[in-house]
Amino acid sequence: MTSRRDFFKFAGIAGGAVAAASVSRAAMAALPEPVMQTSPDTMAPLVPNSGRPYNPVVTLNGWTLPWRMNQGVKEFHLVAEPVVREMAPGFKAHLWGYNGQSPGPTIEVVEGDRVRIFVTNKLPEHTSVHWHGQRLPSGMDGVAGLNQPAIQPGKTFVYEFVARRPGTFMYHPHADEMTQMAMGMMGFWVTHPKVKNPLIDEVQRDFCFLLNAYDIDPGSYTPKIMTMLDFNLWSWNSRIFPGIDSLNVGLNDKVRIRIGNLTMTNHPIHLHGHEFLVTGTDGGPTPKSTRWYEVTTDVAVGQMRQIEFLADEEGDWAFHCHKSHHTMNAMGHNVPTLIGVDHRGLSKKINNLIPDYMVMGERGMADMTEMEMPLPDNTAPMMTGEGPFGSVEMGGMFSVLKVRRDQKPGDYKDPGWFKHPEGTVAHEYEGPLSEPARFKAEGGQSMPRVQAPSKPTEVKVRKPQSHSGH
Amino acid sequence: MRRTLTSRGAKLTVSAVALAVLSGCASVSLEQNVDRVNEEASSFTEKKLTLSRTEQERKERAEAAQALLAKPLGQREAVQLALVNSASLQALLAQGWAESADAAQVGRIANPFFSYERMVAGDELEIGRSLSFGLLDLLTLPARQGISRYRIEQSQLRLTSDVVDQVTQVRQAWVRAVAAQQTLRYARQVYESAEATAEIARRMQAAGNFSRISRAREQAFYADAATRLATANHQATATREELVRRLGLDEAQAKDLKLPERLPDLPKQAMDPQTAGAHATRNRLDIRLALSNYEAYARSQGLTTVTSFTDIELTAMRNTNTDSASGSRSDPRGYEIGIRLPIFDWGGMQRDAMSARTLAAANQLEATVRSAGSSLRESYSAYRTAYDVARHHRDEVVPLRKVISDENQLRYNGMIIGVFELLADARDQVSTVIAAINTEQQFWLADAALQASLIGRPTNMALAAAAAPAAATPGH
Ligand SMILES: [Cu+2]
Repeated sequence: MTSRRDFFKFAGIAGGAVAAASVSRAAMAALPEPVMQTSPDTMAPLVPNSGRPYNPVVTLNGWTLPWRMNQGVKEFHLVAEPVVREMAPGFKAHLWGYNGQSPGPTIEVVEGDRVRIFVTNKLPEHTSVHWHGQRLPSGMDGVAGLNQPAIQPGKTFVYEFVARRPGTFMYHPHADEMTQMAMGMMGFWVTHPKVKNPLIDEVQRDFCFLLNAYDIDPGSYTPKIMTMLDFNLWSWNSRIFPGIDSLNVGLNDKVRIRIGNLTMTNHPIHLHGHEFLVTGTDGGPTPKSTRWYEVTTDVAVGQMRQIEFLADEEGDWAFHCHKSHHTMNAMGHNVPTLIGVDHRGLSKKINNLIPDYMVMGERGMADMTEMEMPLPDNTAPMMTGEGPFGSVEMGGMFSVLKVRRDQKPGDYKDPGWFKHPEGTVAHEYEGPLSEPARFKAEGGQSMPRVQAPSKPTEVKVRKPQSHSGH
Repeated sequence: MRRTLTSRGAKLTVSAVALAVLSGCASVSLEQNVDRVNEEASSFTEKKLTLSRTEQERKERAEAAQALLAKPLGQREAVQLALVNSASLQALLAQGWAESADAAQVGRIANPFFSYERMVAGDELEIGRSLSFGLLDLLTLPARQGISRYRIEQSQLRLTSDVVDQVTQVRQAWVRAVAAQQTLRYARQVYESAEATAEIARRMQAAGNFSRISRAREQAFYADAATRLATANHQATATREELVRRLGLDEAQAKDLKLPERLPDLPKQAMDPQTAGAHATRNRLDIRLALSNYEAYARSQGLTTVTSFTDIELTAMRNTNTDSASGSRSDPRGYEIGIRLPIFDWGGMQRDAMSARTLAAANQLEATVRSAGSSLRESYSAYRTAYDVARHHRDEVVPLRKVISDENQLRYNGMIIGVFELLADARDQVSTVIAAINTEQQFWLADAALQASLIGRPTNMALAAAAAPAAATPGH
């Protein structure tokens, strides 16, 4: 968890990224040399050394694509290709992405920049790139067949337009879209304001990530591309908890987080310990009059949200999607509920047939994190993550905002677990317990039922109890 | 009949002939028969077949049986046990002995006919003695002895063939009994798994986690498994009893019968067709039986040409006439030849029948030779297919199910599948094992059939398709 932090200098790009040796230099002479990234770690912000200055973003478990200035035009080179993405330690996926990773590198430009993007297709099928949310000439919008011919395998296309409005954008293919998005082809785009914009505040930390989802059968590597809704991996930048880096900020930093949703469902993104404002959407910065504080914002399909808050509460704060199954990794959708089902005498019988069988789920799903049993190859446990007080029992779209007094500006290193001041951690109560007074509802139902049930339903609520026999 | 007397020389001749007849006669003993079977079918009997006639011999057989029953009974031991213990095999031997003896009879001359006559006419007393032989009987004796040898040969071949058949039945019964017992053990596992599933489902419903229909679905499998277990139980009993009968066990012996846990491992390599072919060409029982039958008919055909014409009787006579009135006494001797006149029956039908039978035997021989190759090829194909299928199950199907099982365990660990799916998979795996046992059983049945086929006792062996395990119904 620490060595990757050494990259957190701009030099990290040179160290962590390698030039694509497989692309012929002669053929590419007219193109900016494509830069590749081999590591899934969060790279330090790419401070601009040419073009207009801006405050760079940090891509969670990602990086920003370097460019070259060519007679006043910012030139980027994206290479669409198959990649191996480590989605969590010990779990790798065979995806399609750009320049060595999925998602592809973040493209950062400044409002008014003329941008030229070379796209080389090294996929087995044609592709195209749509610049999601941009104002641009229709012929640059990237819908294969509608705006341009598809980029055939081995071909390089060039897109050129002016980044007209500041804001948060994405890029993704618009050719065989379902396959290519299911395979992880997407990337982030940030257009920084050219001059001080009254609706865009200066921030000390600016994070961005894409919400994406995959359906990878445990034990396999390649996503199932025909899956429509029943995905089993809910990821941020093609990483799943515990593979998602924490967002490390200094106390009283102003923090912006940009989130884009390229999954097939909405995600209520929830931050603990702070209230935030939604300061931007797909359409750009929101008018101040429309902003209100909240702790959860729903990011609908294909949408972008920019949230901002003052990190004025020290500590480790959970930051996650509030759909609880989105904070789980691959799990069975048809596993029966075993809560409260007495297994006494049964385990032994089953063990005769299945020697490795252990009872799980009698108390709930948390049983799973306690047993540490072997899993299929290339799988992350359904819920995991060892925190300072035990397992956090999470997966998928979950990370931690770490607010620290001594986090230096520009330092994105993980400060470790929060040291709670004395007496500020919930603890076991050891005083006397008295039976709680139960409240009996005064009201009744709004209307009586027409057909009465033949016999009253009997409900027995099982209180937790311990017994032997496992 | 009035008979004249023969001379002294003639008398001697008759005695000599009679002696010759008696000494040259084909004869056959029980020991010869049994030895012959043990010789011919040594790969089957290991020369351990005996027919016991005395109390002592019976006791020895009983002791040998007891020794074999002391340990779990392998296939080879089962055959040994049948050889020493089976009353029906003993019956077969006795029967074979009888048949051989009957066949030997053909090669013997009919006993001479002796007649004594005493006649009184007034003072005259005439005493006539005659000794008559069927002359043709005597003349055709060498030919008939040849035929008799063929008949004896045939009866012995038939006996060997029947012994081979019985031994094959024993082998196959043993295979079925062991396989059924093995299958029963696994059927019990399926049942236990189904029982556990049903019990969890019951507790799930009691805890409020399962609806009635979900529970009923899980319970339904349990109900089926109970039926299947009962059937498997009966199958194990039925095949065991079949074996008990084949071995000829009495009740006390049946109680002692212990079978091995499992069928033997498959041989490392299947017998190749060349080896099978080499075994097959020489000394096939069926061909030799047909050949011997044909030769016997062919030989008797020439004989019938003579015998159908005439029935010649040679009678030696010595009479004594005493006249008490004259006090004279004379001893006339002579011989008499009687011949049946072929007036009504010239023997044409008999000859026709004989040539027809010879023709039939010739064709039977030809048919046997022709079908021998074909039935052997079929037996070999059944054997080879059964071997390949059984190996495929052992090397591919079962290991694959094991992989699936292992992976399912891992998936269960990761809460990717639930306990019902895990149990359903366990049942699937058990079904695969049962299917694999079936294929092994098929192999050993085919093996026994091929052994019998090679020696020339083709045994029908219909290969049953290996049953695919029932598809899992995961608990959803
Ligand atoms: Cu979500």
